[in-house]
Amino acid sequence: MLDEWTSNSLTHDPMRLYRLKRDRRHIPVSAKYNIMGFISSGTYGRVYKAECVEDGQIHAIKKFKPDKEGDVVTYTGISQSAIREIALNREINHENIVALKEVILEDKSIYMVFEYAEHDFLQIIHHNSTHRVPIQIPVLKSLVYQLLNGLIYLHSVHILHRDLKPANILVTSNGIVKIGDLGLARLIYEPLQPLHAGDKVVVTIWYRAPELLLGAKHYTKAIDCWAVGCVIAELASLRPIFKGEEAKLDSKKNVPFQKDQLLKIFEVLGTPNERDWPGVKDMPEFQSMKRLDYFTNRLHEWFRTRANHAISVYELLLRLFYYDPDKRLTAREALNHPWFQEDPKPTRNAFESLLSHSHSHSLQSQVPNPSHHLPPLRRITQDDAPSMVPMQGNINIGNGNNNAGGAGHGHGIPINAGGMGAGVIGAGGGGGGPPFGSHSQTHSKPGSSASFASLSGGGNAGGTRKKARLG
Amino acid sequence: MATDFWTSSHYKRWIVDRSSWNQARAEDYRYVDRPEYIDYLSIYFANAINKLGKKLQFRQRVIATATIFFRRFYLKNSYCDTDPFTVIAACCYVAAKAEESPVHIKLVVTESRSLFSQSHYGVKHFSSDNSKLAEMEFYLVGDLECDLIVFHPYRTLLALCKKEAGNGQSHASEEGEAYSDLGVGADDGPRYWGTGEGQLELTPAAFQTAWSIINDTYRSPLCIFYPPHLIAIAAIYLTFILHPPTRPESIGLTSEQDTLFSEPSLEQPRQPRRSSRQAHGTSHSNVSQAKKPQDPVSFLAELNVSLPLIATISQEIISLYTLWDNYKEDGLPDAGKFAGNMDSPMSSAMGSTSVSPAKRTASGQIMRHDVTASSMGLNYHRTPASLSVGAQTPGSADDASGDTASSADGNMCPYITPVFLSGVLQKMRERKMASYAAVVNAQPRMQGVAVNKRLERTQAAG
Repeated sequence: MLDEWTSNSLTHDPMRLYRLKRDRRHIPVSAKYNIMGFISSGTYGRVYKAECVEDGQIHAIKKFKPDKEGDVVTYTGISQSAIREIALNREINHENIVALKEVILEDKSIYMVFEYAEHDFLQIIHHNSTHRVPIQIPVLKSLVYQLLNGLIYLHSVHILHRDLKPANILVTSNGIVKIGDLGLARLIYEPLQPLHAGDKVVVTIWYRAPELLLGAKHYTKAIDCWAVGCVIAELASLRPIFKGEEAKLDSKKNVPFQKDQLLKIFEVLGTPNERDWPGVKDMPEFQSMKRLDYFTNRLHEWFRTRANHAISVYELLLRLFYYDPDKRLTAREALNHPWFQEDPKPTRNAFESLLSHSHSHSLQSQVPNPSHHLPPLRRITQDDAPSMVPMQGNINIGNGNNNAGGAGHGHGIPINAGGMGAGVIGAGGGGGGPPFGSHSQTHSKPGSSASFASLSGGGNAGGTRKKARLG
Repeated sequence: MATDFWTSSHYKRWIVDRSSWNQARAEDYRYVDRPEYIDYLSIYFANAINKLGKKLQFRQRVIATATIFFRRFYLKNSYCDTDPFTVIAACCYVAAKAEESPVHIKLVVTESRSLFSQSHYGVKHFSSDNSKLAEMEFYLVGDLECDLIVFHPYRTLLALCKKEAGNGQSHASEEGEAYSDLGVGADDGPRYWGTGEGQLELTPAAFQTAWSIINDTYRSPLCIFYPPHLIAIAAIYLTFILHPPTRPESIGLTSEQDTLFSEPSLEQPRQPRRSSRQAHGTSHSNVSQAKKPQDPVSFLAELNVSLPLIATISQEIISLYTLWDNYKEDGLPDAGKFAGNMDSPMSSAMGSTSVSPAKRTASGQIMRHDVTASSMGLNYHRTPASLSVGAQTPGSADDASGDTASSADGNMCPYITPVFLSGVLQKMRERKMASYAAVVNAQPRMQGVAVNKRLERTQAAG
């Protein structure tokens, strides 16, 4: 009764029928979004700016780096980091967290479609530093306020971010802060595994809390609060406050003692002692720490020389930099700090003070301050994005002119419909080649591998930001 | 999210009603000989997930998450259209990652192959290719709509109940793991629903019973019909029936309870409760008697949940046990000889000495750990019998072999066994395939070729 094909299917590829059905229903990314250009890349993959075909909304699409065996893209299992980021983003919803619109699984690649944010903290810092103007207190305070507000939310739902740093904190053109990149984030509610089990190293070295640097197996939300402290200091002084050299993992992947980073911290905050931090003597690296030179706290002096205009935030920062994680301010305590009650008050649009002459809420005088006060728009590039941006010339459809209009395009008409017969995607990208997702065989690697080598911050000219993504 | 069930994807998108489930089974009903086999398949698959999970040394919560993924997947797909074993393996693989306890893909492939190639599953070709499992994962995550964070009743149980103090037994058993080893950084959030205050005191044995009942609920689609905290409360409620409160004035409670839950079938346990009170009181109620007595019924009543709904869920759990009484593990070399004890999960809870690798009799094992068999035996022995219909049927299906499926079609087999269900499943899938092939062949030849071509291309790409 069963012909060969059927019985073959049952035994050798029993899910074939299922996949066929699924593939037939699938609407490819290229039918839903026009890729406008490349934004940045990191260890995880690449981020593109894209416009939704249906409503003209702008999005950032994060495409996870597909796995390859040799040159052939293959399924190797979704990374823990991608699973985390997807799973957590599906659950959360807060104004100060980057919203995930949808996830598209297509042709062995994962595409996460996020709301678009024009700026990020790193870019703002870089912009102001290039123009040698400090970030004005009204802006700084609003950015920090919203950052803390987002962090309160994450912590209230028991998520540790574990990678807070300027590059991961985005800001929309309306001045709304959006915490992004939950790729290292973790739920800490009733964990089945201890926190250190999965990820040997968390948080980019400059933003890493002392308890982590001292080898704590046991850490808490306080590590995110430390990172916030580092971010505030960087917003105030326009450079990383603790810019240490990361000691690399040895060949056996043992985590080394981060001497330089600790010294950078001690030079400003002094050497921790048991009076302020009783737990310090139980830290695995306590003995190594004791061998370092002794310093006293001179954070106030640091402010006077590096960030005098922001001295009002000194007290808040001091408390975010408490060595004892239990004494360090929580996100909520930080938000309740008197600094935020003082004038100038934080604004919902962090850039509001730049739009008008006064700090008042009147937006009538729209004469902008010198343009270098407002950070520039995010740069996107075409040449650097071979794996997602269509190769044919002149495809930057809709870019610029009709974004606002939105409804300009015919609804649902897939641009680049060339290779998408019957909506079957992922068929190997053979003839005609769907313009993206077609990395399978046709695509050669130079472009992508070269740009993966570049470090985080990509287009943001962040210099050499050190990533700490392991495990 | 971790604390707010009401904003979770679980609550917003994945609590479904029974008719959606039945609708999702429409194809399966078309190709199965008897509709009730579909219900048995629910047990069968859950047991398979459990076994694979145990081989992979998963914690109970990971297994539970994998089971939820499996049920959700089959809200959108049919058994007969898919290979449930591949799906099970992928569910376990993803669940491990979702619960932050990842295992290597190769290990999942190896363990799945060795488990499912056992004769009672009859899977001849479980692919040894990692990429095949990874491919299934990819599609699975798509069908799960990337909603990978799942709430379980265990959490409610832990939030609502505390064990009585003074019992320092170790909980090496899987079922009791969660509260003894929460891991580093456990952080008690506020209770995410209801207005109840304080905690209910349960004896360790009662706590384990509740835990085991929760485990058991995953054998049916119950776990996608109701919010997990309600399932937990129903499990606690059933636990009271099995482990009646030990305070002396509990007679007064009984009537109160009966009016609260006017469930005819739930009145039956009154008898075993009385009898067990004596057994109970001597063994381990000393601690609670010293303290101010707690009234569990008013505790439950004060919870901000619908008690009739709790009664409904309890009834469904009892129905599951009734169904389960007719299901019997086989094919396992060491299970057969204890067959007499294994017909009912609850009745086997009495002090048998067998250790079932299937862990189907979870409650029973816990009881043996916690109390002497004699103190609990009476209680357990009667209660399930009164709860369930048609248990204790002697008989054996140990001789079940490959052709059981056909011989049992005539309704002669006293038990439903995995071997039998494997046959049922295989038959469904073949029928479905045949009818699919017929459709394809009936179409113009060119189109059939095109389909095959397309398949080949997909495969080449894979």
